[in-house]
Amino acid sequence: MKRTKTTADSASALFWVVVGILACYGAPRLGLGNVTEPGAGFIFFWSGLILVILSFMVLVQSVRSTEDTVQDTAEINWPKIALVLLSLLLYGFFLERLGFVFSTFVLMSFLLGWIEGTNWARSLAVASAAALASYAIFELWLKIRLPKGIFGF
Amino acid sequence: MLESLTSLAYGFNIALQPQNLLYCFIGVTMGTLVGVLPGIGPTATIALLLPATFALNPISAIIMLSGICYGAMYGGSTTSILLNIPGEASSVVTCFDGYQMARQGRAGAALGISAFGSFIAGTVSIFGLILLAPTLADFALKFGPPEYFALMVMGLTVVAYLARKSMAKALMMAVFGILLGCAGLDPITATPRFTFGILELADGIGIAPLVMGLFGIAEVLENLGVLRKTEVFAGKIKGLFPNREDWRRSMGPIARGSLLGFFLGLLPGVGAIVPQFLSYALEKKLSRHPERFGNGAIEGVASPEACNNAAVGGTFIPLLSLGIPSTAMTAILLGALMIYGLTPGPLLIKNSPDLFWGVIASMYIGNVMLLILNLPLIPLWVRVLKIPYSYLSTFIILFCLIGAYSLNNSTTDIYIAVIFSFVGLLMKKFAFEPAPLVLAFVLGPLLETALRRSLILSDGSLLIFLQRPISAAFILFSIVVLLAPLFSQIRLGRGLSEED
Repeated sequence: MKRTKTTADSASALFWVVVGILACYGAPRLGLGNVTEPGAGFIFFWSGLILVILSFMVLVQSVRSTEDTVQDTAEINWPKIALVLLSLLLYGFFLERLGFVFSTFVLMSFLLGWIEGTNWARSLAVASAAALASYAIFELWLKIRLPKGIFGF
Repeated sequence: MLESLTSLAYGFNIALQPQNLLYCFIGVTMGTLVGVLPGIGPTATIALLLPATFALNPISAIIMLSGICYGAMYGGSTTSILLNIPGEASSVVTCFDGYQMARQGRAGAALGISAFGSFIAGTVSIFGLILLAPTLADFALKFGPPEYFALMVMGLTVVAYLARKSMAKALMMAVFGILLGCAGLDPITATPRFTFGILELADGIGIAPLVMGLFGIAEVLENLGVLRKTEVFAGKIKGLFPNREDWRRSMGPIARGSLLGFFLGLLPGVGAIVPQFLSYALEKKLSRHPERFGNGAIEGVASPEACNNAAVGGTFIPLLSLGIPSTAMTAILLGALMIYGLTPGPLLIKNSPDLFWGVIASMYIGNVMLLILNLPLIPLWVRVLKIPYSYLSTFIILFCLIGAYSLNNSTTDIYIAVIFSFVGLLMKKFAFEPAPLVLAFVLGPLLETALRRSLILSDGSLLIFLQRPISAAFILFSIVVLLAPLFSQIRLGRGLSEED
């Protein structure tokens, strides 16, 4: 287990090394300028460089350390998380096309019935109530403009 | 002093207007509710309600949003005492003795002392705010870009130092926050930076979707599939008024907690979490019977609860007098001030005295409301806690999505929230803390502008940061903080979390 955690810590450090390098790589294209007149990419270059240095420090620390800093990832339900994330992205895609009430009803039914395993009759009832109540609160009371979609609500 | 009291009277005149009283009430009630509910905190709630405040006048809006900040501190203690689950991160310490008191049949006294302690601390911090904020704002008029840059560097360094896990990782998150915060149009040349051709990113990544993703949805994702059975304290809660012995034991801890919380809250980056741990450790050290701590000592509830409330008042000082947020929560308030067309900074008190004094007076009124309403409402909060987490989590996701969308009416913000929810989940699993990221995200553009202006002013000489005494002091302090772990293995945050 320790080996897995050290590897995970090192992998995360390497990921941030890549992010830092990408920032350093993209910054000159924006114009670094110089110290007397810093350009648009100035902050990105130096921040990227600092990120790379810090990531290397964490990498070295993780290889040397005997202390676990990474949580055990075994308990994460990755398939469920992937499904939830996908449903949220689809919600974003359909929100303006199908309207707030309908999209919210579908999303809530899915999350309650499929993901949380609530019985379907109750899920559908709660989803309808949630969609209508949130529409009433945000659109009608708080005057936040929510998308109407093809159904007009 | 007399001038401040006159201004405060003017503030009460504004805060007592029926509309402002109503929004203060809504704010503190919402704050208490989200404080009670684990999973959605005041930061995400403020971001969620921000679009709803556009139709209000800025004073009413800030009164309501501030009410959420300190109301959450009251609410957080309820779950700590009754469930052993902190509703807020800043109520973690209250669990240690509060829950033990509840198990011993003293839940009422624990809730009571927590409410009274919070009220006393709130009062202390409001008076501190009245005395210090105008003075600090006058002093800050001397600040130029180098001083602001150095102050922000100091704030970010302190946040990283106080990280509960790795300081290097916290600094990485701060740097990543700067990178994210600076994406969008360049403030000087208007060059699009890392927008990837997406029009909506020209104004940069929004704070609302970022916070909703990192704090709200990520929390729900983490708990997916985890069976979460909430065991709410079943007994009848009685004796909400602490007895004479309780008061005798608690007065000192409340006074010390209030002062400690207020002064630590002033420091950029400290927030309300660390002071609470410190106040608990302090009381344990001072006690003649430290063995009682962790077994239902009322001092272990009184001091941290006073401390976290006072710290919230303290965090308002850098926000209102310098325009520098010191926590993720005040970072959103800073965003709100800018959206309302106000310029946060030393001139805010002079240019918008009605807002400054109105908000301060409302904080006092809000604390009174919380004291009067909170104790009778505890049975209601207990009922709220009995709602199954499967429903709560689904509603949290829905509110986060609405909050992300509604600020700009853009589905891109929903995608951003979803992406950052995944980032937030990975950060939790790989032990990266989100607070430095959010703070740096908000400070990033201010920090960049201050840096570039400083370099233009000095003709490219970095010595400008050391030649001016105030910025030199901030930079020196930052260097000391950065180097401190090299000389001491026991860092503040880590030391405390290990001990407690």
